[in-house]
Amino acid sequence: MEKRPDALLLKFAGTNCDEETARALRAVGFEAEIMPFPLVTQERIEQADLVVLAGGFSYGDYIMAGKLAQLELQQKLGSPLKTFHEHGGFLLGICNGFQILMRLGLLPEGSLIHNVNGRFICRWVGLEQASTDSLYLAQLPATFELPIAHAEGRFVAPEGQSATYREQGHVALTYVEDVNGSEERIAGIQDASRRVFGLMPHPERFLYREHHCDPDWAGDAEWGWGYFFFKSIHDAIVLKRETTKQEASA
Amino acid sequence: MSTAVPTKTYTQRAIRQLGADELGALSTEMKLSLSVEDMLAVQVHYHTLGRDPTDVELEVIAQTWSEHCKHRIFSAEITHELDGKPETIDGIFKTYIKAVTDQIMEQKPGFVLSCFHDNAGFIKLDEETAVCLKAETHNHPSAIEPYAGANTGLGGVIRDILGAAKGAKPIGSLDVFCFGKPDMASADLKGDTIHPLGILRGVVRGVRDYGNRMGIPTVTGALNFHDAYTYNPLVFCGTAGVIPSADIDKVARCGDLVVAVGGRTGRDGLRGATFSSASLDTESHEEDVGAVQIGNPIEEKKVNDFIIQAREEGLIECITDCGAGGFSSAAGEMISECGGEIYLETCPLKEPGLTSWEIFLSESQERMVLAVDPKNWLRIVELADIYETEATEIGKVSDSKVLRVFHHGETVCELHSAFLHVAPRKHFSAVHQTRVAPTAEIGDASTIGVDLQTILGSFNICSREPIIREYDHEVQGNTVIKPLSGPGGDCPQDASALAIDGTGKCIAMGVSLLPQYGELDPYRMGLSSVDECLRQLVVAGADPDRVGILDNFCMGNPNEPTELGQLVETAKGIADAARAYQVPFISGKDSFYNYFETEDGPVSIPVTVLISGIGIIDEKTQLTGTSIRRPGSRIGLVGATANETGGSAYSLARGEEGSAVPGVDLEQALALYRALHEAIKKGWILAAHDLSEGGLAVGLAEMGFSLRAGIEVDLDTVGDLAPQTLLFAESNSRVLIEIAPDHADAVIACFAGLPFTLIGSSTDAHTRLRASRAGSEVLNEELSTLKDTWKNGLTPYY
Repeated sequence: MEKRPDALLLKFAGTNCDEETARALRAVGFEAEIMPFPLVTQERIEQADLVVLAGGFSYGDYIMAGKLAQLELQQKLGSPLKTFHEHGGFLLGICNGFQILMRLGLLPEGSLIHNVNGRFICRWVGLEQASTDSLYLAQLPATFELPIAHAEGRFVAPEGQSATYREQGHVALTYVEDVNGSEERIAGIQDASRRVFGLMPHPERFLYREHHCDPDWAGDAEWGWGYFFFKSIHDAIVLKRETTKQEASA
Repeated sequence: MSTAVPTKTYTQRAIRQLGADELGALSTEMKLSLSVEDMLAVQVHYHTLGRDPTDVELEVIAQTWSEHCKHRIFSAEITHELDGKPETIDGIFKTYIKAVTDQIMEQKPGFVLSCFHDNAGFIKLDEETAVCLKAETHNHPSAIEPYAGANTGLGGVIRDILGAAKGAKPIGSLDVFCFGKPDMASADLKGDTIHPLGILRGVVRGVRDYGNRMGIPTVTGALNFHDAYTYNPLVFCGTAGVIPSADIDKVARCGDLVVAVGGRTGRDGLRGATFSSASLDTESHEEDVGAVQIGNPIEEKKVNDFIIQAREEGLIECITDCGAGGFSSAAGEMISECGGEIYLETCPLKEPGLTSWEIFLSESQERMVLAVDPKNWLRIVELADIYETEATEIGKVSDSKVLRVFHHGETVCELHSAFLHVAPRKHFSAVHQTRVAPTAEIGDASTIGVDLQTILGSFNICSREPIIREYDHEVQGNTVIKPLSGPGGDCPQDASALAIDGTGKCIAMGVSLLPQYGELDPYRMGLSSVDECLRQLVVAGADPDRVGILDNFCMGNPNEPTELGQLVETAKGIADAARAYQVPFISGKDSFYNYFETEDGPVSIPVTVLISGIGIIDEKTQLTGTSIRRPGSRIGLVGATANETGGSAYSLARGEEGSAVPGVDLEQALALYRALHEAIKKGWILAAHDLSEGGLAVGLAEMGFSLRAGIEVDLDTVGDLAPQTLLFAESNSRVLIEIAPDHADAVIACFAGLPFTLIGSSTDAHTRLRASRAGSEVLNEELSTLKDTWKNGLTPYY
């Protein structure tokens, strides 16, 4: 049998969405390993198909959210991660992981800063796809809903850039309504390769149907939208692997 | 170690020659909070030993015998007088809590797996898995420093779970706050105290920043506002946990290493246990700040991850948290039976120069104590490195039956558990006069709509949404009934529910706190609280026969017989209800001296009991929300409505006491809950909502907040009382249910012989809440308007 795609979740002190994210990855067919940051090596990253930075409060997020984790990651594994990406690897950052990814410079320049109301916000939000080519959203409808839970989720970019990102297809996901003051209502961003993706909403929290706050939600009988999010990446990785193999044999 | 050794780390205290007054003076000077009787008992003990105690020993005794640790008032003999009839109570805990649970454990063997001796009590989830719940108060610290007080309050109860059994995994938290009114005029505030709004904001942020960072969802809670809480806010924090049943029993064995894990020890949080066992006064805000600890949730998160991994690898023989009393109580709990040795110079410190007692009693946060087999020591160190925390060997377990504490080679403390754990018994007097409730109905049928608006917007009923949004209630991805739910995710829920990974089952978590009843009738407050808590759990889908509850008591001055009398009557109420429902108390806690000395005399809180509970939900299909789901459904009312408006939201809104406080027909209530559970299991119930504060009117409105249908009810089917009584009475054991028309007959049959009526229906003909009595309309309000009022009661303040 074909080896399952390998997802590696990096766990920093304060990462706290790792288990449910691993559960979601396994549900769609990944082999998923949660690895505390001190154990992560260049070799382990090279083995992975997908590197995931899960949600939480890495090192407490007492300064800009994700900053300390970014510095640690940059220093220890900055260049292996870059190589991993250049060699076709996928990188996903959810919530705090998105904040870390932004600061690592693997996504278009910008920052995630304090919500406009200055508060932590935990609620369900409506989302819409803003690009047509996201590998991570391929199996999701044009609009869908997921929960958010963050204090620093307001996307800002250098003057005028957010609109440009939208034109260039970097903006993959937007909020249907303004929830935190994000420019262009940006909820998720992808890089030029489309293999790096960061988003503030939590797809891993809507894995099963019963996660939805409405018992009459008109979706799948078993799975929530989060399932289809992770399934999209899984299938994209499998497809890419097959394509590479065919190219090699041709 | 390179740090300089302090010249003298402890002192001998010559107490054997002191008279009673001098002993009392010494207790005051050392802030021991020990009475003269206690000090005399200590003196006798050291006469027997033929030596004087060290300051370390006196501090340990003071902490161990403090109300916070020893619950001496709950163990005291009380001479009580109810309506002129005297009785003697051989300990509130023994009589009203433990005896009840013991009896239920015999009736339901194998359900309660552990209670009263560990950090938290466990009940059976399935053959392999157990769940637990623990709640604590952090009242005094929150009054003085709301953010840090609430922060460490939650941090402390999470550690209780991590230290329960061999290290349970925390899966969800609850918080319940009692504050003064947010709109209180600042000019009315006495002394150097913090305005209720300042306390509210600080406390919420404290809970938010600890719970969110730990990655433990805060899923349920309650708020109560009352003038008497202005000077003594109550902050209850609770956490539920899960563990394999095989890991419940733990024991430290001779030869095991005593290992400290987590944060370092410093001078923060000295004498917290004794501080919280005294009343506050206007000086407290300056003097006692050193007694409030400082929280560091990421340190605790690292400890959390370390412990769960170490437990899964089988590396933990025994574990307990460092709470009140620090190492002294943790080591005392773990090795007082078998004996052991602690070397204080090995304890990692935040700063050099701490004296012996400071190290041994510091309540610095985020510390756990483990007993580890020496063969596992290297792996423990390795795991500590992986999770970026610190594990240090600080002592050894022996079989000497004595706990000896050394500091740089000198014995600074020698504890004999036989003496330490038998504090002199206290005696109290209590008195209570039962209220004779007026029998007349109160209120006005012509203002029902306005009254409903007022009640929905009132502080105790309105939505807690601004607070709930600040808590991550979805982390861990298992929150299947959220604190706010329904189509827009903003409708009220009764209990919350968490799926338990790998079992297919869920637990429901609910809370009840009804101090406004207790002021009039504490016994009925006790009954009502247990009834409401159980009802909430059943409504969410839990099996009424598999529920465990906690009792958390708070009161003012136990030396005031009338105040203590209310506590005794409350305890009788919860005991009678728990016994009748066969719902065991699996853990509990009490907090006294919640009164504040002002120039005009002391201000005490009303006697307050929080009943929180967990119940088992066998199948996810049984999860039941509270919001109306569609038009065309029948609406049924489970339970009987009587003229019971005493302490109700309606009477409070009118500035009246009201009639009788709601009572409970215990036998009938249990039958109702079992019948309701059967109907839920059969899949006949679309939605169910517990009727509590605000009665039927508030319950109907809240169910309608999904805005999926209008609601029509005929009050003639509810009872033969004035319409305002039918709509606002808070009679217990009542539940509103939404039923698909096809299932109405089956549900009626399910409740045969019990009070149950179809009272109306949901409709797409309008979007209003309408009620009629004797053919005329008595209530007709737009549901969306009612919802706006309810949603925005707190928003101007938080």
